[in-house]
Amino acid sequence: MKTKIKEAKAQIIRHQRIGADSFRLRLRCPEIARLAQPGQFIMLRISEQSDPFLRRPFSFSRVFPPGEKKKMTEEDGILEICYKVVGRGTSLMTRLKEGQQIHILGPLGNGFWAAEGRKQAILIGGGIGIAPLIPWAEKLRRGLGRNRASRNLNEQSAVIVIIGGESREKILGVKEFQKLDMEPLISTEDGSLGIPGMATDLLERELMTRGHASIALYACGPMPMLAKVAQIADQFDLPCQVLLEARMACGMGACLGCAVKVREEDSLKISQPPADAAEEKILFTSAFAGDAIGASSESFVPDVSQPPAFRYARACKEGPVFESREIIWE
Amino acid sequence: MKSADHPKEGPSLAVELGALKLRNPVIAASGTFGYGEEYASLIPLRSLGGIVTKGLSLEPRRGNPPPRLAETPSGMLNAIGLENVGLEKFILEKWPFLRKASCPVIVNIFGNTIEEYAELARRLADVEGIAGLEVNISCPNLKAGGAIFASEPRTVHKVVAKIRRATSSFLMVKLSPNVSDISEIAQAAEAGGADAVSLINTLIGMAIDLKKRTPLLGNITGGLSGPAIKPVGLRMVWQVAQTVHIPIVGMGGIVTAEDALEYLIAGATAVQVGSAHFIDPRAGLKIIDGIQRYLQANNFPDVASLVGSLKIKKDTGQPT
Ligand SMILES: Cc1cc2nc3c(=O)[nH]c(=O)nc-3n(C[C@H](O)[C@H](O)[C@H](O)COP(=O)(O)OP(=O)(O)OC[C@H]3O[C@@H](n4cnc5c(N)ncnc54)[C@H](O)[C@@H]3O)c2cc1C
Ligand SMILES: Cc1cc2nc3c(=O)[nH]c(=O)nc-3n(C[C@H](O)[C@H](O)[C@H](O)COP(=O)(O)O)c2cc1C
Ligand code: FES
Repeated sequence: MKTKIKEAKAQIIRHQRIGADSFRLRLRCPEIARLAQPGQFIMLRISEQSDPFLRRPFSFSRVFPPGEKKKMTEEDGILEICYKVVGRGTSLMTRLKEGQQIHILGPLGNGFWAAEGRKQAILIGGGIGIAPLIPWAEKLRRGLGRNRASRNLNEQSAVIVIIGGESREKILGVKEFQKLDMEPLISTEDGSLGIPGMATDLLERELMTRGHASIALYACGPMPMLAKVAQIADQFDLPCQVLLEARMACGMGACLGCAVKVREEDSLKISQPPADAAEEKILFTSAFAGDAIGASSESFVPDVSQPPAFRYARACKEGPVFESREIIWE
Repeated sequence: MKSADHPKEGPSLAVELGALKLRNPVIAASGTFGYGEEYASLIPLRSLGGIVTKGLSLEPRRGNPPPRLAETPSGMLNAIGLENVGLEKFILEKWPFLRKASCPVIVNIFGNTIEEYAELARRLADVEGIAGLEVNISCPNLKAGGAIFASEPRTVHKVVAKIRRATSSFLMVKLSPNVSDISEIAQAAEAGGADAVSLINTLIGMAIDLKKRTPLLGNITGGLSGPAIKPVGLRMVWQVAQTVHIPIVGMGGIVTAEDALEYLIAGATAVQVGSAHFIDPRAGLKIIDGIQRYLQANNFPDVASLVGSLKIKKDTGQPT
């Protein structure tokens, strides 16, 4: 897929606190809004100087592409990102003023895609990880609504949203989903809102009580949560996409800094001994022909305890959305 | 001078690195510009003085476990681990695009043994259109206990001489700052037959996550780049300029035209821009414009007359 990427100035239209340590930036940037897809991200330059040095990656939490109509509306060409303050860069971001211009680079990476033949989607987000799932829910809803095959489907159940967080203050995005006519299921670890426990517990419960033949999962949040979602997806044999975070420098696929450990494509097929390993073995057995008969008879049964063949994928280019089965979770 | 090639009047930016002619002195540095294609949709590659590709080895390399990046004050650490597609795939999949980049493309190479360097040089000599080689000698020499090639003048001489025999291409040797006497190393490269030297590669550093008490990099240590290293790069370029007769390509922390100009004045004939691309993909283009403006404002006829023009009072520059 050839994507267009722009480096552009964006004007801050609104900068708003949305939670204990979370903020939303509303930006006007028609060039990028025109191209942006849910799950894709921007690299935001925090300082015009060179400290902090690197740009920071943030996912789109809303996209309003410029309309085809002649008349521009208020929302045309607008992008939103939500961010949580976790370190130096995001702390500095809280000082950004409405009206100010910032440099952004995007849209970057591959967004979510509709899992083939799946009529229902469960979106599961942990903390700030819910942000990129908002535009995806919106798009899925529109897509599924238009799809003829799903006309009979109960619209309300086509997209299920699960939001998890430590406590009430860490639950984000509820209103946004309600505006889309979706009532998210909520869990908090301290039980201060919704069902006490982890979002993944809620996910398991949903899958047990619901038929899950036609469900696809889409998840974003902290790594341990994503690993658990991936495990659940395996268990129920469901397609599952995860949006992964990795440290990034360029966002363009050039620096190879954002490595994510993924299965080597070939290892997904039946594992065969590599040609040169087989050759080595033959050489070995012929050299020690006298006493190596036993050794050679162990044959080439694939060793399941062997770590799978892997490579590093660039999260900014091949991701940040990955099929959960591709990832080697550690 | 007025000519069809210079529609805009003004000082000429063209420079010569020995036989290699560049239309301007600003080159994209290895490892920060991928294989060119990554940035091609954002900037016109033909505007650059040249591109150096990601370090290439004979065999593909998977690279280091993540995290591979850490931000540091005015800079960054990277521990990519020289991940690359390997020679075969480079020629098959990356070169066809680069060949049409319409700016000189220099291929950065490295090996684990002297023979590997020579083999790479030999095989790349057959590839049409490559403007030259940049030899990264900041890699462990597996046959000599793993110390980096760059740290020992005799080894450097040997590697460079061996590569020189394997190719007639333009040959630039990229020096490591992680050595005790960089001038000695530069002289060894020159004696071995290098057409130019480029410096500096990254400075080895590390960073620690205080909450977890773990290294921030998967590889524990990594290479420091960005504005934080500019004073070191500049000092080394100046030192090397006192000792060798071949052209020098300076780099390390260049973000603005002013940074680049300092390097030129210190004695670099051209510069490379690395990490700056991460904060601004157009950094190289802006630097070219800025150099042009500086030359004009200060009545320099061309960039070459600025190179090495540092004014120094007698009896200064003693050890500090
Ligand atoms: C594709 C992608 C999408 C993201 N979307 C969002 C989002 O919508 N909202 C949000 O709040 N956060 C998002 N993140 C995480 C966000 O980029 C980091 O929280 C942020 O970079 C931290 O910067 P800092 O300076 O405050 O932290 P520091 O720890 O001071 O940053 C130091 C360096 O580490 C990097 N870094 C630190 N934490 C992370 C992390 N979790 N992921 C990637 N890099 C990190 C920084 O970018 C910086 O280079 C996303 C990350 C990626 C990769
Ligand atoms: C992510 C990254 C990857 C790099 N990879 C290579 C490489 O493969 N070969 C090489 O010779 N130098 C490599 N370098 C070093 C740069 O080419 C350059 O020497 C160094 O970064 C200093 O310049 P800068 O401060 O402008 O970035 C790399 C640097 C970075 C930041
Ligand atoms: S961030 Fe540079 S390759 Fe992904």
